[in-house]
Amino acid sequence: MSTIPESGLFLLGTSHQIANLNERETIGLPNDSIEKFYVGLENLPGLKECMVLNTCNRTEIYGSSDDSFQIDCLIKYLADFRRLEFEFIKQKTYKRHGAEVVRHLFEVASGIDSQMVGETEILGQLKKAYDDATERNSTGKVLNRLFQKSFQAAKWARTNTGISRGQVNLGNVLCELARRIFGRIDQCRLLVVGAGEVAESALEAFKSRGSEAITVTGRTFDWCPLSRRKPDELAQKFDGFTLAYSKFHESLYLFDVVLASTASARALLTKSEVEHAMKKRPSKPLFIIDASVPRNVEEAASIVDNVFLYNMDDVSAIANENLQSRLSEVDRCRIALSKRAVRLWEQMKAHPSLPS
Amino acid sequence: MNFHDVRDLLWLSTACYGASFILGMIKTRYRFPNGLLESPFVIILIGFCLQTRALYIRGIEIHGCPLGNGLERTQFILWSLILAFLLLRLIWKLNLLGTFCAGVSLFLGSLSLSLPAWDTPYWTADGYTRLFQDPWIELHASIAIFSYGLFCLLAVVGMMYLSQRQALLSRRTGFLGPYLPPIQELDVAGFRLLAVGVSFLTLSMVVGTMHWTRHPEFVSQEKLTITTALWIGYLLLLVMRLTNRLYGSRFAKWTIALFIIALFSLSLVNSKTKPQAFQQIHSSPLAQVKL
Repeated sequence: MSTIPESGLFLLGTSHQIANLNERETIGLPNDSIEKFYVGLENLPGLKECMVLNTCNRTEIYGSSDDSFQIDCLIKYLADFRRLEFEFIKQKTYKRHGAEVVRHLFEVASGIDSQMVGETEILGQLKKAYDDATERNSTGKVLNRLFQKSFQAAKWARTNTGISRGQVNLGNVLCELARRIFGRIDQCRLLVVGAGEVAESALEAFKSRGSEAITVTGRTFDWCPLSRRKPDELAQKFDGFTLAYSKFHESLYLFDVVLASTASARALLTKSEVEHAMKKRPSKPLFIIDASVPRNVEEAASIVDNVFLYNMDDVSAIANENLQSRLSEVDRCRIALSKRAVRLWEQMKAHPSLPS
Repeated sequence: MNFHDVRDLLWLSTACYGASFILGMIKTRYRFPNGLLESPFVIILIGFCLQTRALYIRGIEIHGCPLGNGLERTQFILWSLILAFLLLRLIWKLNLLGTFCAGVSLFLGSLSLSLPAWDTPYWTADGYTRLFQDPWIELHASIAIFSYGLFCLLAVVGMMYLSQRQALLSRRTGFLGPYLPPIQELDVAGFRLLAVGVSFLTLSMVVGTMHWTRHPEFVSQEKLTITTALWIGYLLLLVMRLTNRLYGSRFAKWTIALFIIALFSLSLVNSKTKPQAFQQIHSSPLAQVKL
């Protein structure tokens, strides 16, 4: 029975761990060139299987090869493909072999190697990249087994350790807070005042959780001719409704979540206005997020019963607290994944032809 | 450990509630293996079975519903609390509700068992007559105590509401906040529990009134006043919640306060025993005239 040599499984890649944003942009593959990149890759001497993972934060090439394969050939191919210096690629990439590849892939899949520790998006990207590679018949027994096991390892890590505990993305933190107040987010009525980037990010998070009743209002309806259509555009983008700014205060009681994100230098919502709205919905809580600097909601509004007022500092503090909690779990997770990786690699070396 | 001894069984059930409370708290922070996920609930269930057996044995001993001393009344309320939780769990799974109920049962259960004065063996006294000779008054007492169990659960929900609210107002993730149910759901749960609790208490009052009109000598003035005041208190709370005059954190605080009052007033609502009542009848001026 043939066995996989240590050098038979390899990885060449770059990520935020070794390269800055500019360098990653330079090395990363444009989406429309991946097909062409695969064609050239498959012609490299000694390469038996390959898979390319190309995201905004990492570009990695996983492969299995025979003894005739030289990793410098791959570096040269990547340098030529991206029209970069060989030495630049050599400096800004990492190379792994054998068990190290398995360990690295497990860490990537579980999110502990991500910039935002514990994020789950990378697993989806990894699955998509793997599906693309299998459709091209670029993967074989070795990579198939490796990736199937990495998906299992990622699931195990998220279930059995705290690396995904709490939300760290601002939009997700807001959704989590809304869940703790109202329960079902899809039944929350959301009003966005302004059309800033934070508003858009929050809207994306609410929309992805099934929120349908989205309304957008803004002062630009009334006085800014240059950006007159901006709230309309935001409402249109998220299948929401628009509300005339002049009716915003009198309609406040109709909404469960109010997100203020404008550039106004004065408070748009005072304590008395919030009190007035709460009289019409006394037993229903109101969640107000003030995402503006300077603040758009009077701080005193937070003492009104059943009102929960958060500003961006509060939301960031929660995100950081959750991130710290995740970081404290990374070492435990890394050790456990390392053991699984070594075990898998020993099995792969001993029985390379076993199905995944 | 004697499985025929009431106190041993009650201590064991309290230990089960304690274990469930501790496991439940640990479960909120650390992940349990899949096979152990339901362990806090299973341990509550074991505690409930042991408590049921203990109250059943005591009932056999006294030939009636065991509500004759402080220990029995407290244990019956805690039994009702857990029963209400188990019934509620069938239709509605509130995170941590069982853990909070187990915590309350651990605290009040240990307290009632630690005070020997609360468990006087009244049934061994000379001239003991059955506590409830009229089945209607036994029904009245058991429904009333069950409603107390519901009010205990309402107070637990109130505590959870205040904990979640505090966690949200502190603007930090906190230890329990993410695992507690949403405050709007807790508010609705509190309202429903109050409505059901008041219905049971009202039913108990109706049954009790039927007995009182026939045998007023068995009901002390103190009991009449306290029970009526408590019923009016809960009824008022329900009306104020219905009309949105009391809600949110103030409503939660009132549910806790009223339950504490109800608990302390329990020692004062003992019915007179038959000999006491007869003694009162025979010593009254009217009785002397008749004699």
